Amino acid sequence: MPLAAYLAFGTLLFGIGLFGLLQRRSLVSVLVAIDLMLAAVSVNVVALTTLSGRDGSLGLVVSLILVGVAAAETAVVLSLSVAAERRSRGADVEGDPEIEG
Amino acid sequence: MSWAGALFGVAAVIALIGAVGAVGLRSAFHNVLGFAVAMLGVAGVFLSVGHDFLAIVFVLICGGALPVVMVHAVLLNRPAGEAPRPRGRAATLGAAAVAAAGAVAAWLVVSGAPWPPAGGRREVEAAWAGYRFLTDYVLAFELVSVLIAVAMIGAVTVARRRRPKSEG
Repeated sequence: MPLAAYLAFGTLLFGIGLFGLLQRRSLVSVLVAIDLMLAAVSVNVVALTTLSGRDGSLGLVVSLILVGVAAAETAVVLSLSVAAERRSRGADVEGDPEIEG
Repeated sequence: MSWAGALFGVAAVIALIGAVGAVGLRSAFHNVLGFAVAMLGVAGVFLSVGHDFLAIVFVLICGGALPVVMVHAVLLNRPAGEAPRPRGRAATLGAAAVAAAGAVAAWLVVSGAPWPPAGGRREVEAAWAGYRFLTDYVLAFELVSVLIAVAMIGAVTVARRRRPKSEG
C-alpha cells in the first residue's frame, strides 16, 4: 500500500478524535477521543518511518512511548472521573470548575 | 492487491467504524467499546505495515487493558455511564467544522512534505527496537517510566476516599 493511504487513514482517525474531543462532555468520552488521536499519531509515525525506507524501529519506539503516555493519561483522567462522581457533580468537563480550568 | 493491502483495507474500515462509534454513541460505555474495536483495527494496520510486535502491544494494552480500566470507571460512576446532557446542534456543527479543518490542515502538511521515496514494506525486529530503546532512546524510556510512576501516584492521591478528620 502507498504511504499516502496510511497517512490519509491517520488523518481521518485524528479528525474523528478531534471531533470527539470538542463535542463530548463526558470525561470518559473525552479520554477516548484523546486516545484515538494518540493512536492516529502512532499510525502516521510508524508509516512514515517504515514505508519511507528508513529504520522502522524509530516508529516502534515512538509508538511504545505514546502507549505509555496514553496509559498514564488514562490513569489520571479516570481517577479524576471517580473523584468527580464521588463529589456528586458528575464527570462533566464543563460542570466542574477545577477540571474546566 | 497484496495480502498487506487487503489487510490494511479491512483493518482501516474496522478502525474507522470503531472510532465513529467511540465518539458518536451517547453512552460512555458504548464509547469505550467502540474505542476497543478501533484499537483492534489500528493493530491490524500495524500488522499490515510489518510491525507485528506493535500490533500485539496495541491488542493487549490499547484494545484490552485500557478499555477494561475505562469500563471499571464507567461502572463506578453514578449514572451508569450515561453521558451528561448532550450538546446543541450548533455546538456539534462547530466541533465538526473545527475537526474537519484540523484534519484538512494535517493532511496538507503531511501530504505536502518532501518525504524520502518509499522503500516498501520492511519487517521490523522487536529485538532491534528493544536494543535501541535501551541505548539510543534510554532517556525517553526513563522519562516514560517516571511519567507512569507519577501518574499512578497522582491517580491514587486523587481518587482515594478521604477520611473525615476526627475531632478532639
